Amino acid sequence: MNQFDYSSKIAIGQYQQTGSILHRFDPRVKISGFFFLIMALTLSRSLIGILFGLAFAIIGIIIAQIPFRMISRSILLPMPFLLIIAIIQMLIYPDRGGSVLLTIGSFQLSELAVLSAGLLILRFIALILTISLMSATVSSSEMIHGLQQLLKPLNKLGIHTMDFVMIIQIALRFLPLLAITAERIAKAQASKGADWGTKNRSIFKKIKQIIPLIIPLFTISLRRAESLALAMDARAYGYQAERTSMTEYHFRTKDAYFGSVCLIAAALIILL
Amino acid sequence: MNPLIQIENLVYQPAGWLSETRPILKGIDLKIEVGELVAIIGANGCGKTTLARHLNALHLPTSGEVLINGMNTRNKADHPKIRALTGMVFQQPEDQIVAAIVEEDVAFGPENLCRLPALIRNQVENALEQVSMLSQRQLQPSRLSAGQVQRVALAGVLAMQPELIIFDEATAMLDPAGRRDVLNTMLELNQAGITILFITHDMEEVNLAKRVVLLDQGSVKFDGTPPQLFSNPEMVLACGLELPFNYQLYQTFPGWFQERSDPLDGIERLFELIPKFDATEFKTSHFPKKLSPDHQFEIEIHGLNFSYPAEGKSRKSSLKDVELMVPSGRAHGIVGATGSGKSTLLQHLNGLFLPQTGQVRIGQFDLNAADVDLLALRRYAGMVFQNPENYFFNQYVGDEVAYGIKLRDGRVGLKEKVRDAMEMAGLDFDRYKDRIVTTLSGGEQRKTALAAALALNPKLLILDEPTAGLDPRSRRMVLTKLKELESSGVQLVITSHNMEDIAEIAKNVTVLADGQSVASDSTGGIFADEIRLEQAGLQQPDSVKFANALRQKGWPLSRAAVTFDQILSELERLKSGAGDESI
Repeated sequence: MNQFDYSSKIAIGQYQQTGSILHRFDPRVKISGFFFLIMALTLSRSLIGILFGLAFAIIGIIIAQIPFRMISRSILLPMPFLLIIAIIQMLIYPDRGGSVLLTIGSFQLSELAVLSAGLLILRFIALILTISLMSATVSSSEMIHGLQQLLKPLNKLGIHTMDFVMIIQIALRFLPLLAITAERIAKAQASKGADWGTKNRSIFKKIKQIIPLIIPLFTISLRRAESLALAMDARAYGYQAERTSMTEYHFRTKDAYFGSVCLIAAALIILL
Repeated sequence: MNPLIQIENLVYQPAGWLSETRPILKGIDLKIEVGELVAIIGANGCGKTTLARHLNALHLPTSGEVLINGMNTRNKADHPKIRALTGMVFQQPEDQIVAAIVEEDVAFGPENLCRLPALIRNQVENALEQVSMLSQRQLQPSRLSAGQVQRVALAGVLAMQPELIIFDEATAMLDPAGRRDVLNTMLELNQAGITILFITHDMEEVNLAKRVVLLDQGSVKFDGTPPQLFSNPEMVLACGLELPFNYQLYQTFPGWFQERSDPLDGIERLFELIPKFDATEFKTSHFPKKLSPDHQFEIEIHGLNFSYPAEGKSRKSSLKDVELMVPSGRAHGIVGATGSGKSTLLQHLNGLFLPQTGQVRIGQFDLNAADVDLLALRRYAGMVFQNPENYFFNQYVGDEVAYGIKLRDGRVGLKEKVRDAMEMAGLDFDRYKDRIVTTLSGGEQRKTALAAALALNPKLLILDEPTAGLDPRSRRMVLTKLKELESSGVQLVITSHNMEDIAEIAKNVTVLADGQSVASDSTGGIFADEIRLEQAGLQQPDSVKFANALRQKGWPLSRAAVTFDQILSELERLKSGAGDESI
């Protein structure tokens, strides 16, 4: 019914506070653990390794008590694109040996091509599951503070990690505002007779409609960024290269266990 | 000992590429001592905000000096100290929240000052406690009401433990309950020893201060106590402001309140002095007529429900079985606290939202019909959004007004149509068409938004908070314009947090509370029920309180008398019936 709803369409990972054991680990360990898993899933060439990664992510989701309904949505949404990419992958796969499964005219579908397309889909599903698991178990404030402390050593190299972390923080705060602003502009235009949110619109019309939305979205966001910058200045931001943080994390033995489990799993994904 | 704030001959001219920039502040001298409670007033664009930003070193003087606790703001090394010392709460609640979680935002300032984690946690907790937001510490700011966000912003300032807090029109966007909360917290803080400076357009709020500074075009026009200020009504009006209600009362009926020299005692005390009505000397026959039962309705809404998102676990209903009947030709007010569903309801009136369940008819448009022409409906029902200046999507006034006409009619006769629309809204075409919208004053921006909505000659005009954030003169201007439009046959539907606006414009009022329409009656009837209003988070306008006080003394005022002018004219009629008795 609501044609102006942009807020619910932005699929930024949703934190799910279930209070599971996964939620209670030190965020620094969680962030680095998930980072290694994601890297391993991206780099691994082994089907068994990726299947293992997939199983590992599913076990994580069960332990974290995240409803599968939520996860399945994040898999189904990109699925059409994945299938198209997989088909292209099969079509253009360089034919280097392996038994031929199917021959249509001059085109030969080899076993390896099917395998590589399958690997691609599995890899993406495993990645989506792992990223969903991370965003569901690491809250935005944990993410910010965790990153802040993990990146701290880089300060010694003269890199302003504070600014980087601040950018993430503001992006998290700004994205919903951006959606709300887009909604308001579209409504303001619709109220003056623009063809927003009416029925029977062609795809072409819909795309054409986006263009006059984008420029005001930019100017309004810039204006808003300006007032946000003012509010930050007013609260003494930007004088020290390093800020302190209200939260302190204490590294415990169980965090070490969790970290090692993630590391071993990452190693297995690559090596199996 | 140094005064907390010492400003000497402050001149500020923004450095910019526009050669036409004029100084915003022209030689200001001001001293403020520790523990003061000072109101800063003046018309939109007189330099109040610019002055306030100098106190926090957000602006630096072009010439002259600003000393905060003896520290010169020109000395960059002192800026962290100055900013820790002087906190600011801004007008737009959502624009000043930095972090994605309430307590993180409160911690932002102390973190910047590199305080120790344990100390920060302590300060965050205390600050949230002080503004009664401790239980919401883990929430996202977007889940809070505007008044709550404003209190979080205040907590963010308090956590830095400032000695001075500046409120820059911090109550302008809040509903009566939210406003009362923020004002009370402000007074408590002052009693605890914190110096408070607050910028306001609300003359009733000025009465809270012990000292008031009036700015006019960049200079200090007046510096003294509120009674001294209001004893000079000519100056107050000339600076675009108005007198608070108690002073208006005091001046209109000098005979009644002779024994009181200080009208600041509060209106309740004034009401006690109203003389008893003597029925033998006054004519009592005058009463306005009621609406005839066979009246036509412009808007009919029955059993309207709306929830967001439309389905799923997280759905929250924002409208529940709403009933709304708007008689043709009678301006209708919709009132309710923030979050009561006013804006959602308004957006059903021009088809931005379609009914999820329930019947909605606007003029000849039936929103339940599958073939309803939404485009035609939106041209029939013009809409002016809340803070429309934040959503201008064109750079020039002329383009903003022309947008709707161009879409409908193309370029034929465009200029004349834009001219008509602008004149209708009270903007001179030749003077304003090439002005950049963001450089206009608050009142001019509202008129631009009004002109853009009027450009399509709507039969129905929907206004969401049309006067929020305006100074008294601009507000008066907008209200006068709306009354003109109404008498020229445009049907108005208006929401406002300012009950005086509703009393001035609306003939009938519907009260929303928690998404439900809890009452619908004539404006006088709604305002007569103080308890129900308070339950809905609203309050009676002072003029209605005055009318009630008169009735208690036996004056036969009709319920239709809700504005000060209406009360005066009824009193006038009573008087003329009574011969030579003077009021």
